[in-house]
Amino acid sequence: MLRFFPYLVKSLWRHRVRTGLTVSGSAVALFVFCFVGAVQEGLARLTQNRQAERSLIVFQTNRFCPSTSKLPEDYGRTIAEIPGVGDVTPIKVFMNNCRASLDLVVFHGMPPDKLRRFREMNVIDGGLQSFEQRPDAALVGQALANRRHLKVGQRFAIGEVTVHIAGIFTASSPAEENFLYTHLDFLQRTRGLNSVGTVTQFEVKLAEGADANAVSRAIDAAFHGGPVATDTRPKGVFEANAVGDLAELIGFAHYLGYACVGLVLAIVSTTALMAVQDRVREHAVLQTLGFTGLRIFGLVLSESMIVGVGGGVLGVGAALTTLGLSRLAVGTEGVTIAFTPSWTLALHGMGAALVIGVVAGMAPAWQAARADIVESLRAI
Amino acid sequence: MPLVEIRNVTKEYRKGEQTITPLRDVNLDVERGDFLSLMGASGSGKSTLLNLLAGIDRPTRGEVRVNGVDITRLSRTKLAHWRAANVGYIFQLYNLIPVLTAYENVEMPLLLLPLARAERHKRVGIALEAVGLSDRADHYPRQLSGGQEQRVGIARAIVADPLLVVADEPTGDLDAETSDQIQHLLQRLNTELGTTFLMVTHDPKAAAIARRRIRLEKGELLEPEPPLQALVSRGA
Ligand SMILES: Nc1ncnc2c1ncn2[C@@H]1O[C@H](COP(=O)(O)OP(=O)(O)OP(=O)(O)O)[C@@H](O)[C@H]1O
Ligand SMILES: [Mg+2]
Repeated sequence: MLRFFPYLVKSLWRHRVRTGLTVSGSAVALFVFCFVGAVQEGLARLTQNRQAERSLIVFQTNRFCPSTSKLPEDYGRTIAEIPGVGDVTPIKVFMNNCRASLDLVVFHGMPPDKLRRFREMNVIDGGLQSFEQRPDAALVGQALANRRHLKVGQRFAIGEVTVHIAGIFTASSPAEENFLYTHLDFLQRTRGLNSVGTVTQFEVKLAEGADANAVSRAIDAAFHGGPVATDTRPKGVFEANAVGDLAELIGFAHYLGYACVGLVLAIVSTTALMAVQDRVREHAVLQTLGFTGLRIFGLVLSESMIVGVGGGVLGVGAALTTLGLSRLAVGTEGVTIAFTPSWTLALHGMGAALVIGVVAGMAPAWQAARADIVESLRAI
Repeated sequence: MPLVEIRNVTKEYRKGEQTITPLRDVNLDVERGDFLSLMGASGSGKSTLLNLLAGIDRPTRGEVRVNGVDITRLSRTKLAHWRAANVGYIFQLYNLIPVLTAYENVEMPLLLLPLARAERHKRVGIALEAVGLSDRADHYPRQLSGGQEQRVGIARAIVADPLLVVADEPTGDLDAETSDQIQHLLQRLNTELGTTFLMVTHDPKAAAIARRRIRLEKGELLEPEPPLQALVSRGA
């Protein structure tokens, strides 16, 4: 088939405007397809996080937005004594916006030693030490730093809180890279927040072999009837709940992905059909020269595959580049879903493009291969 | 043994109640290296007969043997392979592939045969040389005159060195002078290469270059063809 490659390319080039429009139409649709895929992947990463299964989040009952959850900090001591609890980290959450947002900035105030022990991060600029030494120091996730153009040594303010950036980190989880970490007591003492002695939530590491549900029930029972009742859930469930409405929306976006595939299919098959109808006579001439039906079938199919894959390369390439450069994330109630490029995404996008090319070419290729030679030669 | 043996060939088209019979019980032998011209009124079945011989159409009844092979019994795919190896087809309207150069058009039939690139290059060179278009190898059909396009069409038909070349009114769309040149080219190829030619034509002058002239009338073959020969000799 390689011998016929120049013929294929020249045939496509002859109708370059039509080919170009088809390729760009497919590219746009595949761009959207990949974007939708990235959002789905981000959500899946959040809810299927293995580590999150061994952590619990203790929150104030009936509260959703982190700025309304206020638990006494000394609850931590009580929680630590409950059987099955391995470690307790008090966390104060502060953020710029509680509703769904594409530019959510979330501060997590934590005791520095806990941060070092329980967060898997790799400081790529600045250092952990300088973070620990300065009370108003902050470690910024790379995605957030890119989005807000933050550099080590700068000051960064959201509302009443102004921090000094001591380091920028990468993490294994892209969602994590949208956070900003500060010292717990610094956030608590910030004027206007009025939260000395209280925290937003506790993150509980389960002891080896402990049952997440049993421990959750035990924690909630301990504070039942206390000044502030708690609601404890596995971290994954907690995050899935927080992004609940958003998750529904994202689930719905799935159909948008399918619609894109359908759209590309329609575009590419229309072009393939036009290319065949334009060349009824040419294909009959080729058959007269001795081309078999199968060969004609292969030629038409190859053409539509080139168009499909061309659209794929452009659309998927553009989508992955955009995702990689923009580091977009959507967040709500203090939980973020990061959109990042990935190999699976590239593979799915290109796979879809290839399958579309093949499927779109099927009917036109069959039509061309089965056409009657004499009748087609008479056609103008 | 004749190269071509057409035995009791009938071609019918059914349209509802109506049956059209362009060929009725036709018999014809063609010797190797011969040059036949086929004349007849419009609609007399000339193209139909030519297409049966070229293996791009099938008769309703009868046998078409070429070099001992009854091509009416070959499957669609086998017939395509047979065409690639044995037949060259020259069209009235040239039918070159517009996106390919003269060279690439001529090379097309060779791509179907197990030939190395260098061998293909050599053969295309010879074919273009034979039709006098070596200097136009890189030109596209739209950059060539009608006569030149037909020369490329002829080169494409002979490049694979087929047993049989068929031509359906090869000069039907050309002016008198160009027609003459093309006819002489065909005649020369017939004598120099020894390829067997069957040419459909409306032009008595063109028919005159043939070694043997046959005529179709209402689906039946007539031969020889005295009134026309007389006409040609009078004209000459
Ligand atoms: N597909 C078809 N269906 C019905 N009739 C057909 C079909 N193809 C050809 N015919 C008829 O068969 C007859 C012979 O056609 P053919 O093309 O062989 O004629 P011809 O001798 O080549 O004519 P011309 O000199 O005009 O090219 C004509 O009457 C034509 O109408
Ligand atoms: Mg005809």
